[in-house]
Amino acid sequence: MDNYSIVGKPIPHLDAVEKVKGNAVFTSDIKLNGMLFGKILRSSVPHAKIRNIDISQAVKLKAVRAVITSKDTPLVRYSISPTWADKLVLADQKVRYIGDEIAAVAAVDEESAEEALSLIRVDLEELPGVYDPFEAMQSEAPLLHDGIVSNISKTLRMECGSVAEGFARSDIIMEDTFKTHAQSHCSIETHCCVATCSATDEVNLWVTTQAPHPLRQRLAMTLKIDVAKIHIMTPFIGGGFGSKIDLEPAQAISVLLAKKTGKPVKIEHSRKEQFIATRMRHPTVTHLKFGVKHDGTIIAKQANVVMDNGAYNSHGPAVLAYNNVMFSTLYRVNNIKYEGRLVYTNKNWGGACRGYGDPQASFAQEVMLDMIAERINMDPIDLRLKNANIPNQVTANAVKITSCGLKECLTEARKVSGWRTKKAAGKKYRGLGIASMIYTGGGSIGSGLNYSGATMQMNPDGTLQLLMGALDIGQGSNTILTQMAAEIMAVEPETIRLTTADTDTTFPCMGTFGSRVTYCGGKAVVEAANGLKKKVLENAAEMLEANPDDLEMKNKSIFVMGTPEKAVTYAEIGASSFYKKKEPLVAHGYYNGPEVSPDFDPVTYKGYPAPALVFGTHLAEVEVDPTTGKVEVLNFVAAHDLGRAINPLLVEGQIEGGAVQGIGWSLMEDVKFENGEILNPNFHDYKMLTIKDIPKIIPLMIETIDPNGPFGAKGIGECAMVPTAPAIINAIYDAVGVRIKELPATSEKIFKGLKEKRSK
Amino acid sequence: MGRKHQIQITVNGEAHDLLVHPNKTLLDLLRYDLCLTGTKKGCDEGDCGACTVIANGKVVTSCLVLAVEMDGATLTTIEGLHKGDELHPIQQAFVDSGAVQCGFCTPGMILTTKALLDETPDPSEEEIKHYLEGNLCRCTGYIKILDAVNNAIKQMK
Repeated sequence: MDNYSIVGKPIPHLDAVEKVKGNAVFTSDIKLNGMLFGKILRSSVPHAKIRNIDISQAVKLKAVRAVITSKDTPLVRYSISPTWADKLVLADQKVRYIGDEIAAVAAVDEESAEEALSLIRVDLEELPGVYDPFEAMQSEAPLLHDGIVSNISKTLRMECGSVAEGFARSDIIMEDTFKTHAQSHCSIETHCCVATCSATDEVNLWVTTQAPHPLRQRLAMTLKIDVAKIHIMTPFIGGGFGSKIDLEPAQAISVLLAKKTGKPVKIEHSRKEQFIATRMRHPTVTHLKFGVKHDGTIIAKQANVVMDNGAYNSHGPAVLAYNNVMFSTLYRVNNIKYEGRLVYTNKNWGGACRGYGDPQASFAQEVMLDMIAERINMDPIDLRLKNANIPNQVTANAVKITSCGLKECLTEARKVSGWRTKKAAGKKYRGLGIASMIYTGGGSIGSGLNYSGATMQMNPDGTLQLLMGALDIGQGSNTILTQMAAEIMAVEPETIRLTTADTDTTFPCMGTFGSRVTYCGGKAVVEAANGLKKKVLENAAEMLEANPDDLEMKNKSIFVMGTPEKAVTYAEIGASSFYKKKEPLVAHGYYNGPEVSPDFDPVTYKGYPAPALVFGTHLAEVEVDPTTGKVEVLNFVAAHDLGRAINPLLVEGQIEGGAVQGIGWSLMEDVKFENGEILNPNFHDYKMLTIKDIPKIIPLMIETIDPNGPFGAKGIGECAMVPTAPAIINAIYDAVGVRIKELPATSEKIFKGLKEKRSK
Repeated sequence: MGRKHQIQITVNGEAHDLLVHPNKTLLDLLRYDLCLTGTKKGCDEGDCGACTVIANGKVVTSCLVLAVEMDGATLTTIEGLHKGDELHPIQQAFVDSGAVQCGFCTPGMILTTKALLDETPDPSEEEIKHYLEGNLCRCTGYIKILDAVNNAIKQMK
């Protein structure tokens, strides 16, 4: 067992004290001299041609300083990849969903900005809208975008082995269709930005983002500004869950308004805007066909997926590719076929949302496995163990697994939950369900980029400073990455000064998504800290006239092992190197991996290049009220293979938060649409779990010590809600025999299922 | 917008004489006029609880209260709980229990807990959950928030 003194310790978030005092500055807390307030005029119809926009009355309002339309923009389309770019910051000829940005205003106060919006006259010619992806694929469907021949934005086809042959060799064939719905991220902080922009395009932007460095690039491209002129700063971020990765029109708009007025401009989304006009989880319809042997061996599996894109691409094509990768890579199956279509509709558009297409895949596959287990009369856990991934496996779709603790997750969850005893007892209306997952444990270099940078320095007074591009949005990376640096430099983590995610002062980092910061940010920090440690030890060795290999670091001093009385302090080393030797003590670290293998297909993500894969199992125990169909989740075990828990307290927080978000998606959270309009754009009608709704959750950390991860660690953040829904759905079936194939599992659906069952 | 009204309020022990528009919410008064930005705006509709403050000993969602209604009131916001570097036991319990992730709901959670424990120093689990039901958190899944409340109760006994 490795003997670490700081890594592996459950220390609280280092920034929690500022947060409990109310001192932590979030973007919405920023107030600059002369600051104006920006507001956005959004489309109130789902699909229309813009005939004319008349701003003449709005500009006359005394408190208004600027009104802009698409004519004030360079008309550059964007998405997360230039190849899929389809969204303008402000619409020029068409609006494509309720919420589409048409014009924007900057005024001296929010009320005047609102009033000015009401004075803008938009002449629209309404067009027929299409809201269902299957209808949108019909030849007569209205097309959303210019120059397209169909509303299918992306088609993915992949086959490994031969499913036809596999199905022919199978004893049993099972087929079914599974549907998932939209989920809103619901970070309690809404999107906000404050921009300044000089006449020569020198931009300062304080912004709620998960990815400051990519945002800088995207902003530069979209506004045709030299990237070097853009400075992005990230105050504390009030949660993200994927919603704060892509460029938001408001961010570009705030810069344009700031330039036009010469004043700082702040735009803060209302909660309604957050629901109707920021991204959400893509709904899917998944048809699965599985071929299995009587002994449970999966011989072949096939998925046909239709993913509802909404009006624009954002992350869509990548989310579809992840849906494929995660479906195809989980379990040892040689014959796999995947066909996926991403389809435009006149609705709010999907984006990255915790799990990135994986919860949708997990729901379909894991409910299907439960149905197979019942059909072949096999314990659902044994079925999964039979087909589980193993360490160092290269999967049929050419994905290289390093560490893998799926079997341990399954067996530990079984043990801790009392699965066998409770199943045998078979208490009425109670049930247990299990589901597993795979995800990346460190982002992916599929896009060609998976970079994180860090710098560590010892100041002349011996204090340590860590600068990193990685960003803490609440998940705790500031704490765990500092723990890694502190472990290497043998100091208390709170003594390390930290600068993060500022595009002018930190090395670039792709950002906080893809469960990548622990791994990629960690690799960069470990390299920087080890580099600094080497230099510090060399200095100490010179000062002590000793061999660097014989030295020990402790209490901010260095001595020859066994003689702590003859030590040099970090302060002495820092001063000596900086002033006498005239050599600043600084080291850099950088990660951008893994290597991409020749097998990689950038469209389907066959050969998906993730630095590590993570695995997990959720096990739910529910009780169903037979008179109402209401589900109560009683107990919940969440076992996750995360390599190593750098900080178990923070890992528990990720697992618990993920599971509760997953329970919400399973049972109640649902963005409800009618003709393209969101009917519940507020927390009153969109139901998140409250503290009253939570079950007992037992997080289990399966430490597989990844051979390449920093201190053996892999990611956890997104993974924690991936298999929640199928675990609950399978538990509901175990409790009352009602099989929900369309999320969410509302009381109404279960009640209807119970009624149908009784009438049979 | 209407004429401004004069009000007098005491916030965290400090008395303020203010002229306010009749349509200004207490939340905006605290955040913009008094620069007490620890009180957060998460929905401005009374649903999320991030803007919770204590007014005359009772929990209020400050986005639903007009500032003029608060004439003569005594308020506690998150900035008024600690004394310098010395945290209130509830604040300390939130830190130690890992109950703070992004921290945006935290001030509201802490103040609701404070009002609860002022009223009921030894609440049952049901009472805790009932009191905190109006405070939404997306990060923690509430488990460590419950731990924090229970730890605070132990500390304050």
